[in-house]
Amino acid sequence: MNFKERVLTAMNHEEADRVPVMGLIMDPATVNKMLGKKPVDFVGLLQKPVLGNQIKNLLSSNRFWNNMYYGNFSAAMQAAASLGFDANWAVYALMKLTRDPQASVGWSWYDPYGRVWELAADTEGNINVNYSRALCDTEEKWEKWVEEKAPLFETMLRNTAAFHRKLVKDHGGRIYPMCYAAPGPFENSWQPIGFVNFTRLIYQKPDFVKKVIAFQTDLCLRNLEAVMKSGVEVVLGGDDLGQKTGPLLRPELVEKLYGESYRRMADLVHQRGRKFVFHSCGNIYALLDKFVEWGFDGIITMEPTAGMDLGRVRAQVGHKLVLIGNLDVSYLVVKGTRQEIEDAVRKAIGDAARGGGYILSTSHSHPLVDPVRLQWMVEAAHKYGRYPIGG
Amino acid sequence: MPDDSLAQLQRGLLDLDMEAALAAVHNVIAGGNQARVKEAVDVVTRSLEVVGKRFQDGEWYLAELVYAGEIAKDVMNALSPLMQSGGSPSRGTLVIGTVAGDLHDLGKNIVVNFARSAGFAVVDLGVDVSAQKFAAAVREHGPAVLGMSCLLTSTESQLAGVIDALKTQGLRDKLKVVIGGAALSERAARDVGADAFAPDAVTGVDMMKKWSAPA
Ligand code: B12
Repeated sequence: MNFKERVLTAMNHEEADRVPVMGLIMDPATVNKMLGKKPVDFVGLLQKPVLGNQIKNLLSSNRFWNNMYYGNFSAAMQAAASLGFDANWAVYALMKLTRDPQASVGWSWYDPYGRVWELAADTEGNINVNYSRALCDTEEKWEKWVEEKAPLFETMLRNTAAFHRKLVKDHGGRIYPMCYAAPGPFENSWQPIGFVNFTRLIYQKPDFVKKVIAFQTDLCLRNLEAVMKSGVEVVLGGDDLGQKTGPLLRPELVEKLYGESYRRMADLVHQRGRKFVFHSCGNIYALLDKFVEWGFDGIITMEPTAGMDLGRVRAQVGHKLVLIGNLDVSYLVVKGTRQEIEDAVRKAIGDAARGGGYILSTSHSHPLVDPVRLQWMVEAAHKYGRYPIGG
Repeated sequence: MPDDSLAQLQRGLLDLDMEAALAAVHNVIAGGNQARVKEAVDVVTRSLEVVGKRFQDGEWYLAELVYAGEIAKDVMNALSPLMQSGGSPSRGTLVIGTVAGDLHDLGKNIVVNFARSAGFAVVDLGVDVSAQKFAAAVREHGPAVLGMSCLLTSTESQLAGVIDALKTQGLRDKLKVVIGGAALSERAARDVGADAFAPDAVTGVDMMKKWSAPA
């Protein structure tokens, strides 16, 4: 069986030759470490007096951004394949470099949705980008933003299709790219507005919130279409619906605001004959039944630091969902011993892999993830993941 | 006819009805009675305790906790001009921030809001706060409590760095330190030398209130 057959067999809730292993490798720090590449310290260069301006122009061009961004994921695919992973996730994002007095380095990335991404580098110069704040904290600002950015959304969708198509073409012969249409309608509706503001609007301006969600749902459906142009059989979507102790919103409210969006997303993917896997961080037991109801085929993450236990998830949803993930990124694949990694892999497989329907992976990406530990994880999966499990 | 503004204020907070809560508080203000203003502040504090319990018991979700905090904030803002002359006493200052390298701020912002509504003066340093910045703020504001938020395992070591900086500058014994966030636990609090770990904002603010209560 090859990597692709293995992944698709697991996605069908059937036992492959062994449990597939998937990487969530994407942080430049991890990728560069894996390939022994020295990072280019763009953040450092940006702060140089004359060179800074040239770098700024370079980083602002669509072409350079796409090349840099693609280069990172292409390297991630290459690294994951050489470690023996069967699949690795990939997501496209478009950012514009913008002067930002609130940012520590004086510059931030602004994305088309209205989010600011803080730009930083680690001690080695690896670039780090993280959502830091909202740009559209009022109804008026949001309306103006989406109107002005209409052309940028089109560019983003075109880029998304091209990115995934190229990735599948260049790497699909060695590893299965799990192409991810992110972010989902929940994150896209609250993050450009801010969580507190958005919460106020849910109670005070429900019609506006409905409008935002409808807008983001349409965009998200188009994003899924763009990703599916790559031809992949499995598509990822997602939203962080959970925090450490439970969902951010009452499950009934999630249904009321987003139920239709999620149903439409799953339906669209099914209409195209593909499978839909959903990512959410946090503690989401209270939403698992909804995921089944909305028509998701699988879920990815199951964050152990938020109390998600693979055995309990399997007991709750049976084989109605394919499960991907659950290995801890806070300690295990950062500093864990080989024995600890073997034990965790064996346990995950024992808890979820019988009858197929489980793909082993970490629960998230993280810049501190250690390639050597990932290698141990793959080796343990090869050792303990042969079907029949435990037989 | 009896004035039921305080009952209405409480209902507004517990039923998440901002309009009702603000209408009630405007009635209280219009009455111009200092004692009623003080009672209104007490109603907010007591209601937030109920809100916190509902959240801890899993009866309420994060968005509800956040919105109750927002209603309390707007109510307190409306009352604050009248509180100066003998209103609610400040419980002291809280300096708070998310540690260097970490940009998560939803949790910290909830703590800020609840602490303010509980009567603390809050100095919010934002996210990605260095040890030097924490120490400088402690020196400048002389807080009763320092709160640090940390959601990433990779930034946990920053907590110890801040506490070391406080020790070196002779500031550690003058305040309580409480930490919170997804990556942490009570063990982390012991390891880094904090006074406590708070699993959620409500527990954290409860601790602060206990610490600041007169012996
Ligand atoms: C939303 C989120 C994000 C958002 C943050 C948006 C923002 N402005 O805050 C974004 C998308 C930007 C993000 C980025 C990243 N994230 Co993140 N994120 C989350 C998520 C899903 C929810 C966090 C949250 O806001 N919860 C809601 C708030 C209200 O809860 P809270 O923060 O826990 O706060 C409560 C209590 O803890 C407490 N509290 C918190 N602080 C304090 C402080 C004091 C003094 C007190 C008293 C109490 C207190 O009170 C609050 C209310 O009760 C968590 C999952 C999780 N389990 O929490 C992952 C999570 C924290 N992220 C994680 C990771 C790995 C990342 C990234 C590294 C991803 C990457 N590869 O780039 C980046 C790092 C960015 C950075 N440098 O900071 C991991 C951390 C793993 C680890 N152990 O290190 C988590 C746990 C997800 C996972 N699957 O493992 N993330």
